[in-house]
Amino acid sequence: MKEVPMKIAVLVKEVPDMEALVKVAEGGKSVEVEKKRCLNFFDEIAVEAALRAKQAAGGSVYAVSAGAGTGIEAVRRALAMGADGAFLVDDPALLAADPLTSARALAAVCQREGFDLVLAGRQATDDEAGLVGPMVAELLGVPCVTAVTNLELQDGVARVSRETDRGTEIVQTPLPALLTAEKGLCEPRVPQVMGLMKAMKAQIPRMNLADLGVEAAVPLVVQDYRGPTKRPPAKMLEGEPVAAAAHLVKLLREEAKVL
Amino acid sequence: MDFRLTEEQEFFRTAVADTVDRLILPHVERIDEADEIPSELWREFTGLGYLGLRYPEELGGMNADPVTCMLFYEEISRGSVGFAQAVIMNMLMGTHFVYRFGSPAIRERCLLPAIRGEKIATMCFTEDQSGSDLAATRTMARKAEGGWVLTGTKNWITNGPTADFATVMATTDPAKGMKGLNFFLVEKGTPGFQPGQLLHKLGARGPACGELVLEDVFVPDENLLGAEEGKGVVYLGEILNEVRCMTGAMALGMARTAFGDGLEYARKRQAFGKPIGEYQLIRAKIAEMATDLEAARLMVYWVAWMIGEGMNPRKEAAMAKMFATETCLKVVDEVTRIYGANGFASEYGPQRYFRDARFLLYGGGTHEIIKDFVGREIVRER
Repeated sequence: MKEVPMKIAVLVKEVPDMEALVKVAEGGKSVEVEKKRCLNFFDEIAVEAALRAKQAAGGSVYAVSAGAGTGIEAVRRALAMGADGAFLVDDPALLAADPLTSARALAAVCQREGFDLVLAGRQATDDEAGLVGPMVAELLGVPCVTAVTNLELQDGVARVSRETDRGTEIVQTPLPALLTAEKGLCEPRVPQVMGLMKAMKAQIPRMNLADLGVEAAVPLVVQDYRGPTKRPPAKMLEGEPVAAAAHLVKLLREEAKVL
Repeated sequence: MDFRLTEEQEFFRTAVADTVDRLILPHVERIDEADEIPSELWREFTGLGYLGLRYPEELGGMNADPVTCMLFYEEISRGSVGFAQAVIMNMLMGTHFVYRFGSPAIRERCLLPAIRGEKIATMCFTEDQSGSDLAATRTMARKAEGGWVLTGTKNWITNGPTADFATVMATTDPAKGMKGLNFFLVEKGTPGFQPGQLLHKLGARGPACGELVLEDVFVPDENLLGAEEGKGVVYLGEILNEVRCMTGAMALGMARTAFGDGLEYARKRQAFGKPIGEYQLIRAKIAEMATDLEAARLMVYWVAWMIGEGMNPRKEAAMAKMFATETCLKVVDEVTRIYGANGFASEYGPQRYFRDARFLLYGGGTHEIIKDFVGREIVRER
């Protein structure tokens, strides 16, 4: 049993930072998002997992991203962490595209470059659809295991764990395969300055859908955006603790009806 | 005119900010309370390679431009001023003259390990009776065969008690005043060189700070850090703009943290049925703080840009240091007011910002000295 050097692709997406302000635009047809962007949380875990596989057995790691004027932050972060190279599909048709268009673009890059293993995040923290990873696997015709929490690679086989309601599933799949990373798989590293320098200077090849011979799927049309409903203001109960507690229980029973 | 950061600088700032959030923020209160830098934090952070930021790539550095360096100083100070102080001492003042004038052996022995975070560096100007008044330096360096013998006591030395090597300012001829000053490298373990009394600071706690005592300390000739004897002040002038700009960047970082907390508090804290941020007097504070912060930011990065362009913005660097620091002091003061009595409680951040901000008043020149210098420059400008 031995680990063999592999060429690994990591599908990465640039998403709004979790602290970015998001507001539904007037009319509910779009959202306004503060321009604070980062590498998707789960993709960062996938990058780390790929780098660890490379550290253990050699090989190379490439970040692949698709977006309309976005993605550069995500691939730079992956490069800073230690990825060897990156590919960026940049096409206006990817703006509000159906996940299938993104999947086709990413799969086309994977197909063209040829990878032994494709890793992705379980889902993106912006739309939370979790579709692109499995779609890419389908387009590539390779096995797919989602929400992986442990990964062992040996002799061209991936042995992975995933958490389910019934307990931990251990799945074995031949490679090439596509695996999506769940929280807990590993802790992403903080990039070193040398990595940042490399990422800052990296020339990242950009391509569009036509370059890849990819046709856009029927675009996704969001009918309506609605913000979370505003919570009513907190009600402060005055008075002695014992009386206030009794008052609280009464309100929980009669008003909130939760008891 | 272009006020934008480059895409690379933006990327760098975001990466540093993320590193600060992940590694430093969880330790901030502990650093302040214990007045100590946790060794595992030091190892983890310095292992990332930031200490070589302004040094050439062949020395393990990044050869970063001054704007990029200021982004780093601002972001790390946004996390913890105490930690930032220890880090910046190692990457700027504590190592600059060793880099500039150190022999290959000295660079190998001191600079490279300092860039890797394995050795602690410091710089010693201040004495009991001198600080901004450098000409009053009493630490003496007497010529001896094959080297120099140093005697004196340095005070207020950040990283001093823990330093592996120090760049010590000493006079070789008190009669020459400023023209008698020189820098000497003194390494830990050199006979007669030892830490003295520890100082307990009001704020900017974390790095050890205190006296360094030199009793007939012999150092070889190559430890005179300078191409020519008596030019210490000239060499100091080469980094003074950078040091002052850096202090301004630290002030900016700290002020941003305080302002962010104050703003959040103003949005959430209710009084008389609405958030206090809805009252005009609180909004006035927010508006003034935000305006001053923008002005300070423009000054600091303008000076950094000028340094990067090879200019010598002596007056502007002094102004930026003073303005950014005074802005920081004003912001931390206003934020403690927005917090009301909670600003006085150790459970909340503002009391720490309030204490930390005072530290920036002294480094790079007191504001009394700076005002005198800037005023003199302007009056004599014709």
